[in-house]
Amino acid sequence: MEKVELKTVIKDWRLHAIAFILVAITEAIGQFSIAVGPGVILLLPMLYAFFLGLGLYFTPLISEKNAKNAEPLIILGVTLLIAKIGVTIGPQIEAIIAAGPALLLQELGNLGTIFLALPLAVLLGFRRESIGMTHSIAREPNVGLIVNKFGFSSPEGRGVMAVYIFGTVFGAVFLGLISGLLATATPLHPLSFAMASGVGSGSMMAAASGSLIGAYPELEEQIVAFAGASNLLSLSTGLYFSIFIGLPLTEKLYSIMMRRSERKTAKGGGPNA
Amino acid sequence: MLKSVIEWTWVLCIFGVAALIGNWFGMDVLPWEAIPGMLVLIAVSLVGLMLEKALPFSMPAVGYIGILAIIISLPWFPGSDYVVAWTSQIGILALATPILAYAGISVGSNWADFRKLGFRSFLVAITVFLGTFIGSALIAEVILRWQGII
Repeated sequence: MEKVELKTVIKDWRLHAIAFILVAITEAIGQFSIAVGPGVILLLPMLYAFFLGLGLYFTPLISEKNAKNAEPLIILGVTLLIAKIGVTIGPQIEAIIAAGPALLLQELGNLGTIFLALPLAVLLGFRRESIGMTHSIAREPNVGLIVNKFGFSSPEGRGVMAVYIFGTVFGAVFLGLISGLLATATPLHPLSFAMASGVGSGSMMAAASGSLIGAYPELEEQIVAFAGASNLLSLSTGLYFSIFIGLPLTEKLYSIMMRRSERKTAKGGGPNA
Repeated sequence: MLKSVIEWTWVLCIFGVAALIGNWFGMDVLPWEAIPGMLVLIAVSLVGLMLEKALPFSMPAVGYIGILAIIISLPWFPGSDYVVAWTSQIGILALATPILAYAGISVGSNWADFRKLGFRSFLVAITVFLGTFIGSALIAEVILRWQGII
């Protein structure tokens, strides 16, 4: 946050004027839904705002400097979002405590990425990069862990950075699109997806749970409370979860897969990746 | 510290204006009706940011902010009725839209990095996100059903 001077950020009126106009236009357009099979893809103002903002970067309206100045606004904007989530959780504290076991255990859902994505990464020809890529969803604490353990320019470091960058650029938009679609197309309850929305990033949680609210407005309070509680839990325990479970498990699974493919290679002279 | 606090206040207020505009256009809440709630959120954020600087623990500001906001809105906290009533005038999506607007503008400068990743990384990253999201939802579904909550 201290990289750019906040004073110059505050005085960047061109940036703020553009952001105000983007928000006004996109909110005035409102939300649309597109039916896809049994589900719905929700197009929310925040999605238009993201892509219009990105598009503006490639026009003379927004310079490199404006783009850099936007960063502190995101960071401090997220603090307001967290405050809003907090005051939504407070009145619902009893419901949250009642749902405590589910909240705690769904953190284990992160392991889904290891079993689903690690084989795919290895299949696509990634080697030790795949450990960095798939041990977690690569938020800041996980990047810190991998860089700390393997170094920034290691294969693992490159891998974690690839997913980190994808998440930074498309994470919120991607989760926003699939959460609405999955919640309307699958038999799972929207509150289960609300808990899954708390992946440990404020903007991703806002996008994912925002789509859920768009599809189930009558559950708004509960969705925000469950997603927010899950997000706080991910933020506070995510790192330790990676250290003690996620990363060791990924490394173990990786070495098992490598041994099998080496045996195959030794027997039949398989492809050289 | 004082300089930081003043600068944070400015940035939070600018962001607050963007959110109030969105709240007005998107949810038809007039800005002056949402101002008390926005001031509460800004105050909570400021206290959290100050605690991060002042306290020796390595907890990020959002950790303090979340806990603080939960405490002041608990039913038995004095004045929590006002906190809840005022902040309920601000929709969560009204806060999310400006975040993503600024994020879109900011992401442009990472675009070159992103294009270097290649299509294979893109596929793996999508699977990583899908895996976590669906994995968590499945576990939550099983437990919530077992408890009879849903």
